Amino acid sequence: MSNIDFLALGPEIAVTAAAVLLLMIEVARKPSARVWGWIAGIGIAAALGLSIAGWVLGRGTDANLYFSDMLALDGFSAFGGIVVFTLTGIGLIAGWGLVTSLRRRGAEFVALVLIAAAGMHLMAASANLIMLFIALEVASISFYVLAGITRNRAADEAALKYFLLGAFASAVFLYGIALVFAATGTLSMAGQESFLGETILLRPGVLLAGIALLIVGLGFKVSAAPFHVWAPDVYQGAPSGVTGFLAAGAKVGGFAALARVLTVPLDAYLDDWAPAVAVVAVASVVVGTLLAIAQDDIKRMLAYSSVAHAGFILLALTAGDAGVEAVWFYVSTYALQVVGAFAVVAAVSGPDTGASPLDSYAGLGKRSPMMAAGLGLMMIAMGGIPMTTGFVGKLGVFRAAIDAGYLWAVVTALVATVAGLFFYLRVIVRMYMDAPGGDAPALEVGRGPAWAVGITSAATIVLGIAPWPLLNMLRDALPF
Amino acid sequence: MALVDYLPIAIMFALALVFAVVSLLLSRLIAPHDPTPEKLEPYECGIVPLQDPVQRFPVRFYLVAMLFVIFDIEIVFLFAWAVQFEALGWPGTIAVGVFTLLLVETLVYAWRRGALDWNIPHRERYRRVVAPEIEEAA
Repeated sequence: MSNIDFLALGPEIAVTAAAVLLLMIEVARKPSARVWGWIAGIGIAAALGLSIAGWVLGRGTDANLYFSDMLALDGFSAFGGIVVFTLTGIGLIAGWGLVTSLRRRGAEFVALVLIAAAGMHLMAASANLIMLFIALEVASISFYVLAGITRNRAADEAALKYFLLGAFASAVFLYGIALVFAATGTLSMAGQESFLGETILLRPGVLLAGIALLIVGLGFKVSAAPFHVWAPDVYQGAPSGVTGFLAAGAKVGGFAALARVLTVPLDAYLDDWAPAVAVVAVASVVVGTLLAIAQDDIKRMLAYSSVAHAGFILLALTAGDAGVEAVWFYVSTYALQVVGAFAVVAAVSGPDTGASPLDSYAGLGKRSPMMAAGLGLMMIAMGGIPMTTGFVGKLGVFRAAIDAGYLWAVVTALVATVAGLFFYLRVIVRMYMDAPGGDAPALEVGRGPAWAVGITSAATIVLGIAPWPLLNMLRDALPF
Repeated sequence: MALVDYLPIAIMFALALVFAVVSLLLSRLIAPHDPTPEKLEPYECGIVPLQDPVQRFPVRFYLVAMLFVIFDIEIVFLFAWAVQFEALGWPGTIAVGVFTLLLVETLVYAWRRGALDWNIPHRERYRRVVAPEIEEAA
C-alpha cells in the first residue's frame, strides 16, 4: 500500500528546498551572508512549523505510516522535529561568526547544516531500517564535512577521523540491518514488530547478533563507550562555531533512532538487549567521567562529558517503552545545554578555531559576566544540580532504570555524577576565582552567541524549575 | 528460509577457491622457468621505460570523477523508473523530475564553482571568480 502524505515529509522538504535555493542564489547572485541567513531562517521556521502541525495532528495516535511504511508521523517523530529544528536554529545563530569568516564557502556551510537537520529529523521519523540508514548517512556525511569546514590541520584531522570511524560504524550498523532482516524477513519496523510479537524464534542467534550490531553502530553515533574514541579529537578539532551543533545533533538523532529501533521492532527481545545496553551505559558513564577529569582543554572535557551523558541516557533505555519519555527529556534538554556551552566556547576562543584550553577561561567572570554566567549555568546543569534541567533529566533516567531493575547501574551512575561535579565546578572556579592571565581585556561578544546563550540558559532554568509542561508533552511523544 | 538453502552459495565459493588455487599451483609446477634479462624487460623490443608508470596526475580528474557519479546515480534511478513508467504514471514522472532537478542543481553548482574549468589560468571566469577567492582564503 502506497500511502502518501506530504505532511510526514514536510519538514525535510522545507529545509532541503531552503538549502537548494540558497546554493542556487549563491552561484547566481553572490548575495551577502544576511541573505543566506534569511533563507536558512525561513526554511528552519517552516520546518519547525510543520513539525508542530505534525505534533498537533499526529500525537497520541496509532501507527501513521506513510510512503509504503517508510516514514512514521507520530508524536515521536513530531517531537523529534521540534527538538531538531529548534536546535538547528540556535546552533546557526551561535555559530554565525563562523559562517561570515568562511567568506563565500559560508553558503555551503549553511546548506550543509540544513541538510544535516533534514537527516536528523528523518532519523526520528524512519519506520524502516533502510530509511533509517539513509537518514543516518545524510546526517553523518554532512557532519563529516562540517567538522572539517575550515580546512586547517586540526579540522582536517577531525573530519578525517570522524569520517573513517563513522564509515566503519555505518558499515557495522548496515550489517546489523542485514542480520535483523535475515531473522525477520522484513525491513519495515511495523512488520518486524508484529512478526517478532507473534513468532517465537527457535534459534534467535542471527537476530541477537543483528541487535548487537545495531547497538554498536548507533552507540558510535551517540559516542557511548567503548565506541567513543572519535569524540574528543572531533570536538577539539572542529571549529567551535559548529561543534555544539555537531555534538547536540548527533546525540538527538542517534538517541531518537536508538529509542525507536529498540522499543518498536525489538521490544519483544527487551530482556536480551537491555542488559547489554546497561553495560554500555555504565561503561560510558565511568569512562566519560574519569577521562573528563584529566582534560585541560574545555572541548575535550565536554567531549568526555558527552560520553558520560550518553551513558546516562542509555540507562533510561534499559526500561524499554517506559524509558522513552526520560530519554526525550534528557536528550532534548542536554542538547540545549551543549549548544549553549559551545556558544560560550565560540565566543571565548573564536568560532573558527579548534582548540580552547581551559586556561583561557581564567577570569572570564570579569571579562564577560554574561558568558561566564551562561557557561557556569550549563556546567551546573550538566552536573545535575537541582533547579536545572540536568537534575530533572537525571531523576527521570535513574527512576526508569530502577523500575527496570538495574539498581547496580544506577548506583554506579550516581557515584559518577558526584565525581563529575569535580570537573564541572572546576570550570566555574577558573572563571570566577582565578585572575585572567596577562592583560586580558573585556571579551567582545557578538550578538549570535549572546542570543544563543540567553535562549539556552532561559530554557535550562525555566524547564529546570517547572518541567511539567515538557513532561506532560512527552507523554504523547512515544513511537507508534 | 533455512540455512541449508544457502548451500549452493557455499559450494560456489568453495569451487571458486579450488579453481583459483589449483590453476595457480598447476602452472607453477608445470611451466618451465628459465628467465633471461630480455624476458624480464617490460617490452622485448621498443623503448626502455625511463620512469615508474605510477605517477601523479592532475587533481582536477577527481572533480570529473565526482561529476561522473552525478550522472551515474541518475542513470541508476532513471532506469528503475523507466521500466515501470506505465505503472507509476504522473506521480512517478513528477518524482523523477524533482530528483533530476536536484541532480542538475548539483551539476550547476559544481560548474559555477569552476569544476569544469580546464586549463584555468587562461580562462576569463577563472580570473573573475576563482582567483579572488583563492587570494581571499590565503
